[in-house]
Amino acid sequence: MGDISIIQALLVFVVAFIMGIDQFSFLESLYQPIVTCPIIGAILGNFELGIVVGGAYQLIQIGSMPIGGAQPPNAILGGIMATIFAVSLDMEATADGVGAAMGLAIPFAVFGQYAVTLTFTFMSGMMAKADKYAEEANVKGIRNINFLEMAVLGCLFGVLAVAGLYGGTALGETLKDFSYQFSWVMAGLDAAGGAMKFVGFAILMKVMMSGEMWGFLLAGFAMALICAANASTAGATLLLCAFVGAAIAIYDFTTQTKIKQNAGAGAGFVGGDQDGI
Amino acid sequence: MAYNIPEKYQDLTPAPQLDKKTLNKMVWLSCFLQASFNYERMQACGWLWGMLPGLQKIHTNKEDLKASMAHNLDFLNTHPFLVTFVMGIVLSLEQNKADTATIRSVRISAAGPLGGIGDALFWLTLVPITAGLTANMAMEGQIIGAVLFLIIFNAVQFAVRFGLMYWSYGLGTKAVTLLTSSAKEFTRAASILGIFVVGGLIANYGGTSLRIVVGDPAINIQGLLDGVLPKLIPLLITLGIYVLIKKGWTPVKCIILILVVGILGCAFGIWTGDSKAMDADGNTIPGGYTPLVEWYQLPEEPAE
Repeated sequence: MGDISIIQALLVFVVAFIMGIDQFSFLESLYQPIVTCPIIGAILGNFELGIVVGGAYQLIQIGSMPIGGAQPPNAILGGIMATIFAVSLDMEATADGVGAAMGLAIPFAVFGQYAVTLTFTFMSGMMAKADKYAEEANVKGIRNINFLEMAVLGCLFGVLAVAGLYGGTALGETLKDFSYQFSWVMAGLDAAGGAMKFVGFAILMKVMMSGEMWGFLLAGFAMALICAANASTAGATLLLCAFVGAAIAIYDFTTQTKIKQNAGAGAGFVGGDQDGI
Repeated sequence: MAYNIPEKYQDLTPAPQLDKKTLNKMVWLSCFLQASFNYERMQACGWLWGMLPGLQKIHTNKEDLKASMAHNLDFLNTHPFLVTFVMGIVLSLEQNKADTATIRSVRISAAGPLGGIGDALFWLTLVPITAGLTANMAMEGQIIGAVLFLIIFNAVQFAVRFGLMYWSYGLGTKAVTLLTSSAKEFTRAASILGIFVVGGLIANYGGTSLRIVVGDPAINIQGLLDGVLPKLIPLLITLGIYVLIKKGWTPVKCIILILVVGILGCAFGIWTGDSKAMDADGNTIPGGYTPLVEWYQLPEEPAE
């Protein structure tokens, strides 16, 4: 490939920017390697090779979709870099021919993941700002917080992709060493990120909790544990929790409304307790 | 949190039915549910953004709009394509000016289970089938594979988004009017369901665990804890933060605490965490990462 024109670098940035956003918002399908890789291939002047890399990467990607907040090493930077390597090393346009490009792209996929982790951590802090905007009924403020994260994610992905475009395999090695050296920091962010949702749960509990509700909290917790322990029910854990919870809630609703009706009927006879004797 | 969300809206007259244009606008905005995704509230702020066209029409009273916006920032995690179902239900409750506690409980109860259903339907079924078939076309160098994938995937996505929004809004409006006569009892029942689901969420999403292995033969501390009660640590952390928030800690303070404890803990190899880093040969690191201070030895084959 040799020379990379400014225009090519700019286009790669734009594509990475859009895909960085699309992985969580918008169409949530543009970012798939089968779509991203041909676009990058076309920018670099080898459309057909891009299509093949996209197909190969897609097959690897199936089965490692981001599910329930867990994230695999990032498919977007992985796909973009695999295409860049396949084109720059002039690989053969077959499934076997482009295999090596996937391996070279992995350090970048890992860094794509770091970009996501850092953004999600940073934006957790921004939620206090969102609370403030909500209390002021500031509609634009809420919108801007959403724009902010999209811009941050897009820029991080754009910068990483362009750095990869110029840095190539040498940069890949550097990134790999770096992540090896500081693996405890990224593992720490990973562990902390996994625990931050407990703050969200605690805020919910603050609203709903009262004396007798503790039993229901623990019952739901137990129900989820039991469902998750069984391979055949694990996937439906929360749905099953909702079924049992709904049964209890409906029973309680029926009982309480009956009690109210009876109290009302009784009150009619004795003149009403609420009147203060 | 200085602002206390009121239990009831000031204006309790039900708002008129939302027009098609507003509902459609909300469906389009629902595509940005995860635009401000974060670890603390997950989709909360993107959810609020999507709800705003409806909320602004429903709450003409400014104080009510503030209250509604504030409680629509609760933790939320559901499937991005099925979210319009939750939107429709919540809209019908907002429109009938249900108690804020009711809306919050119903929202989390409806959103949680949909997450699992959506993952199974879309990420584990639709994507593997469409992408799997079209990837083979791509490997032969045909761009039609990518085009077909985009068309099929997005046709399904938008049919689901629009269909669920109209269906659940209609359903919710019908159901809510039946319940207004027993609002207090309904709030209580909804809270029971909500708190039950939150209990389930703690066990379902709580991934925090210990990495420490001590002694020879190796004893896995997490294994011991699991013998007492699985997911004990997520439960304890949630309760601990609940106490802190009750004491007046702000969410930001809690998050900073978690960040510090998380990173310091991993420096000493206490928490499990995945750095996804590789050594020079491209192999993953045993135990997910190398602690800064290594004071115990992981066994050759780390216990799962």
